[in-house]
Amino acid sequence: MPCHSPQHLSRRALMKGVLGAGAGGLVMNWGGLTTANDLADTVKKANKHCIMLWMNGGASQFETFDMKPGRPTGGLFRPISTNLPGTQICELMPQMAQQMDKIAVIRSMRTTEVDHPGGIYLMHTGYRPSNTVRFPEIGGIVAKYQGQTKADLPSFIKIFAHGDSGSGFLGPQYQSFSLSAEGALPTFSGSNMDPANELRRHELRSFIEDRFEKEYKTDVARMHREAYEAARRLQNARTVFNVDAEWEKYRDQYGNSGFGKRCLMARKLVESGVAFVEVGQSSYDSHADNFMWHKGLAPPMDHAWAGLLKDLKDRGLLEKTLIVWVGEIGRTPQINNRAGRDHYVRCWSTALAGCGIKGGSVYGASDEDGYDVKDNPVTEGDFFATIYKALSIDPTTENMAGLRPVPLAPFGSKVVTDLLA
Amino acid sequence: MLKPVLRYQLTFESAGWPSAVTFQDSSRRLVAGNQDGELYVWDLPETPPPLPTEKKPGVKLPEGPNVSPVLRLNGHTNVVSHLHYDAARKLVISSSFDYSIRLWNLEAPPSGEATVVLDQLARDEEYKRTKKEEVRQQPGVAVKTLTAVHVLDGHRDWIMSMAASGDGSRLITGDAAAQVIVWDLEKRTPIAKWSGHPWNWIVAAALTTDGHGALVSEYRYKRDDFDIPAAALKLWNADDGTEVLDILKVQFPKLDPKEATYGSAQMWNKFTGVGLVAVAISPDGKLLATGQGGETDTGKVHILERETGKLVRDVSGHLSGATDVAFSKDGKWVFSAGRDTTVRICQVEDGKELAAIGSSRGGQFKDWISAFAISPDERWVAAADIAGHISVWELTDVVG
Repeated sequence: MPCHSPQHLSRRALMKGVLGAGAGGLVMNWGGLTTANDLADTVKKANKHCIMLWMNGGASQFETFDMKPGRPTGGLFRPISTNLPGTQICELMPQMAQQMDKIAVIRSMRTTEVDHPGGIYLMHTGYRPSNTVRFPEIGGIVAKYQGQTKADLPSFIKIFAHGDSGSGFLGPQYQSFSLSAEGALPTFSGSNMDPANELRRHELRSFIEDRFEKEYKTDVARMHREAYEAARRLQNARTVFNVDAEWEKYRDQYGNSGFGKRCLMARKLVESGVAFVEVGQSSYDSHADNFMWHKGLAPPMDHAWAGLLKDLKDRGLLEKTLIVWVGEIGRTPQINNRAGRDHYVRCWSTALAGCGIKGGSVYGASDEDGYDVKDNPVTEGDFFATIYKALSIDPTTENMAGLRPVPLAPFGSKVVTDLLA
Repeated sequence: MLKPVLRYQLTFESAGWPSAVTFQDSSRRLVAGNQDGELYVWDLPETPPPLPTEKKPGVKLPEGPNVSPVLRLNGHTNVVSHLHYDAARKLVISSSFDYSIRLWNLEAPPSGEATVVLDQLARDEEYKRTKKEEVRQQPGVAVKTLTAVHVLDGHRDWIMSMAASGDGSRLITGDAAAQVIVWDLEKRTPIAKWSGHPWNWIVAAALTTDGHGALVSEYRYKRDDFDIPAAALKLWNADDGTEVLDILKVQFPKLDPKEATYGSAQMWNKFTGVGLVAVAISPDGKLLATGQGGETDTGKVHILERETGKLVRDVSGHLSGATDVAFSKDGKWVFSAGRDTTVRICQVEDGKELAAIGSSRGGQFKDWISAFAISPDERWVAAADIAGHISVWELTDVVG
């Protein structure tokens, strides 16, 4: 059958398509690319997921989970009671106050990177930035050990991405797939070609790749092909990225905000089998007007997080889905002369919920003004070790960075067993 | 030109800094509140006490004489956001982040006595230097205490804005739940209530001299870098809460108030700064003044036509943001304060600066002025700064 000339693939168009999709493959991770070892296969049977709520810039512990009312460092907000008797949190979080029985708050984080780039790296990987080793983000690790093979969707998805350490030495197959703040897919992920033509193109590419692979016997060709396969599979699942149709139904539950919409999408992705989803909210870096910033940012976060918890629970997904609430740093006890709080990592707060976590617990404590940890310090390594343990991943598992074995959580990290159910 | 002379520098140090100030019915009595909800009253003697001359190592000498307060007003539990003196009823009115508006009769019998410490930061500094416990144990100041004669109840979130009509008949208040209330001050009851955009906070409000017209500024800090509710600046009928003019729509006809995208915010935020946090209506009702607040590069004061909403000119300019604005009684001058630690007085008709009261304390981000007050005779200006002072200047030597 004759076809019109635009439907023919020119050599240039073919190369352009191959390169474009290849580039996409580099930034997408599908479980199908995993060279799974025994551990990874075992863990995957657990079918656990993780949603990381990333508070970019560093939310203040004083304006969220560790208030100091009546103290010089206390600030303008007032504590409210929660459904966890004896525990109070900030009035900016009334919805989460009623979900405290489901979460575990850590009030004694003590970490080692006080600025944003280092902190973002640290709280995505568990490791400080290094010139010699590029450590993988938690998303890449969860994708490796929990990602499903041959899935239509990537195993590691970021919605409004922060952090760029990516899959590190785990390789490009565990790299994140990033959506915009509005949840839009990257432009490379779709094709504007007619499906029949797309199929013809695919067949032609396969033909060329088969011949290339036969001749050169290289992994690169296989990975290239698998990236294409994954990209093609994604086309089967594109609808999961569109929450518009459901938004009216869930708007009140998640709150009418951009972050709320992202959290709804995260639930949909987890429900569709994605192992790890990061949902970002930006920016808490309130060096000036800290209280106004938090009054603007925290309520939509509170609403969305509470909605997400309830939705996951209602669908029976919470037992298998870990929610991590974290940013890269905390904020100073002292209020500066810009009405702001600066960076602080000597004592700050994070929270965990769901899968494997003992809800209704508050771990560690700060001193009366929040300057230092009073009880039970938790390092970044301890934090990540606990997360991996909750996800049924052994934090001492080693991967090779070149010739160097690197455990998932840094050597010496301790699982905080009190946080585990 | 005006020559400001610093007459007093009152110490008002606490964990929270001074946030509001007003004169009573003369330049001799001053009321100021802070972020902790503390309210004090000072009587300023005709002749200021001499400045201390004895230098202590590591301690900076004050720039102006200090006197102690005579009265503490008990009741607020969070930031005192605004203060107003109601001359007709001889009441001080305060609004607060504790959701309440309190009316105080300063002539009423005191409810008790207290000993208070208002130089806490200086004591802490000295203790840090000397490690002598007696520094912290020094006696405080004895004051009488007073409770409010009435509380106006109606808000359910931080009351961020308050202003009275020029004739003293009405009060307008606005909160962080976007609710606006116009009050009848004589009856102490609401006349009208309305709401702004549900995502917004009412960050500033003003009434016309007769109290029938209102100017309301809405703003909210972002919910996310890509989720930024649109600011609003509107004129309202204060009798019934009907909208009269959307001024931001005049400035930006394409503005969609429901749009919260980053792109939309880029349209309006050059005009609003981080919110138009201070607004005023000229006594003749023809002009509006709005100050760009938050931490901005410009901190301009826009002068706008009330009738059309069009920009007449920008005057003044406070590096890092304006915090307060007011017209003089004759409407010829506009006063503004800001994060550059100055109160500036400009001519409305041409924007010429007549005086800059105070000076930047060096470098960026130094102890901004949070609010100011003008005495009834317009010869005195008091300014509250976040370093813990109420500075009181006399305006002298009008030249040219």
